[in-house]
Amino acid sequence: MNNIYLPQLVTIEEIRDEAPDVRSFKLVFKDPRLREGFDFKTGQFALYSAFGLGESTFCIASSPTKKGYIQCTFRRSGRVTGGLSQLSVGDTMGFRGPYGNSFPIEEWKGKNIVFVAGGIGLPPVRSVIWNVLDNKADYGNITIVYGAKTVADLVYKDELKAWDEMDGVTLVQTVDPGGETPDWKGKVGFVPTVLEEAAPAAANTVAVTCGPPIMIKFVLNALLKLGFDENSVYTTLENKMKCGVGKCGRCNVGDVYVCKEGPVYTAAEIKRMYNDF
Amino acid sequence: MADKILKKEDLAKLIASVTGKGGRFVAPTTAARQIVFKKVSKAEEIAPDYILARNSFKEFLFPQTEVIAEFTVCKDTVDMRGVEVEAPETVVFGARPCEAASLAGMRALFTWDFVDEFFTKRDDNTVVITVGCTKGDEACFCTSVNLSPESTEGADVYMRETEDGGYAVQALTDKGKKFVAAHAAVFSEGSAKARALFMPEKVPGVDLKKISERLKDKSHYDNPVWKKLAMKCIGCGACTFVCPTCRCFDITDEGTAFEGERRKNWDSCQYDSFTLHASGHNPREHQPQRWRNRFMCKFNFYPEKFNSKGCVGCGRCIRVCPVRLDITDVMQEFSK
Repeated sequence: MNNIYLPQLVTIEEIRDEAPDVRSFKLVFKDPRLREGFDFKTGQFALYSAFGLGESTFCIASSPTKKGYIQCTFRRSGRVTGGLSQLSVGDTMGFRGPYGNSFPIEEWKGKNIVFVAGGIGLPPVRSVIWNVLDNKADYGNITIVYGAKTVADLVYKDELKAWDEMDGVTLVQTVDPGGETPDWKGKVGFVPTVLEEAAPAAANTVAVTCGPPIMIKFVLNALLKLGFDENSVYTTLENKMKCGVGKCGRCNVGDVYVCKEGPVYTAAEIKRMYNDF
Repeated sequence: MADKILKKEDLAKLIASVTGKGGRFVAPTTAARQIVFKKVSKAEEIAPDYILARNSFKEFLFPQTEVIAEFTVCKDTVDMRGVEVEAPETVVFGARPCEAASLAGMRALFTWDFVDEFFTKRDDNTVVITVGCTKGDEACFCTSVNLSPESTEGADVYMRETEDGGYAVQALTDKGKKFVAAHAAVFSEGSAKARALFMPEKVPGVDLKKISERLKDKSHYDNPVWKKLAMKCIGCGACTFVCPTCRCFDITDEGTAFEGERRKNWDSCQYDSFTLHASGHNPREHQPQRWRNRFMCKFNFYPEKFNSKGCVGCGRCIRVCPVRLDITDVMQEFSK
């Protein structure tokens, strides 16, 4: 019987604490065929299980250009992520995916890209960032605008440093007012506001954003205000999901099933959708 | 036209013929003074006179809870085992034409790209026998959603009660024809006068085309009418459990951290936890938003996405609602 709900088994190979309550896992498939052959596209998501507690949905935070493993990053906030947080290196998890559509990065060749992320919205964007940076010659200038509530809440601190030092990459970091530390050298302000000052010219530029739903709404408005074409602005909607395959009925935004027709949408598509995410 | 006759006294033989071959015979019966679909083994158990069962027969295709996998956490790994679906040969006898019409939507949903074999294998092994309604009540509104007691959508075999207490039998699908052939000894040739059918009155003013158009126009979303109509909803979810087309579910683990099973359980879009993110954000935070989702699922998502009926007019949601929220009031409102 073909059981669409049966997960694959993965082993936790490495654990990295990114920020308070935010953790990354490097995962390797137990099935040797999948370890070699597992393929996905940047922007796709998966369901990760902590056995005995259930499944949670997050994006695949690593880039398809990195072979042999996948990474996920999650905030400990519910039952399943609480269970995942108790796991150690060498422990086994469930993985079901990849599901959903992806960012059409092939179409972006020759263009500049601005990435705009907030808090735990960086992991899905990070997959695209590395995918693009691993093929850097194909793309123009890269700008990354990333913000979090406080300095401590910024994730992937080592990678932020690496991106900052890369040629052709501009990194702008910000924290919400009150979230700065005395030695903070980045900006202070909300992501959409900082974006308006730091964004590159809209011409020949693609924008990718992810963050809390309220941030996404403001960032989309800011980008359109800056003159970005609504077909060149992309976001990913990470709604609550249980099945990931269009059956369980909860990820829909109006008549759009995020798991099947998303999670990646252009601003033009978002505009046609109900304001209900 | 009827092909065969099932005499009143031969219903017992039909049950015996089905169960004798190892099948289960599901029919409306009385339990706790209510009419419910249950497995029966004797003709006397079948309710002699009913409008329709309180539950729909969907639970025999899509159970309230079912195991989809089992796991044991071992020292260095997890033993994860998928389970085979239990799909016994099943005959659903005495379904009403309304609820049988829900099957098209369920089939579309459970086979949309990814095939959920927990549903399809049971569906493949189920023969649905509908019996045209000779009585109804004020909650019945099939005629307002383009159905009637004569509708055969979703039925493998359609029957009409006859004046002498038997049934006029019409096999419709291949599955239905095979069923009648397999139990040929039970059916008789001949004809009998069918009892008159009960035709529910149409809900005044309801216009499905208009509803569909209004729901396609996004401006309805913030219409204060949702609040007006649905604010009294207490979010109990009863409407969704008795609804033959509702099929939302949850996937949860039961057991200990070492051993357990993963289950697919019925869930309801009327619960606040249904869409609640772990972050605390909830896209459908208020009850009227959840009610709007339910109504749109019935009159926009099912028809537009799955080319099928989302509401079959059985009226179960009206009968069970503790606050008398009547879906036909909303239909009327959106027919304006």
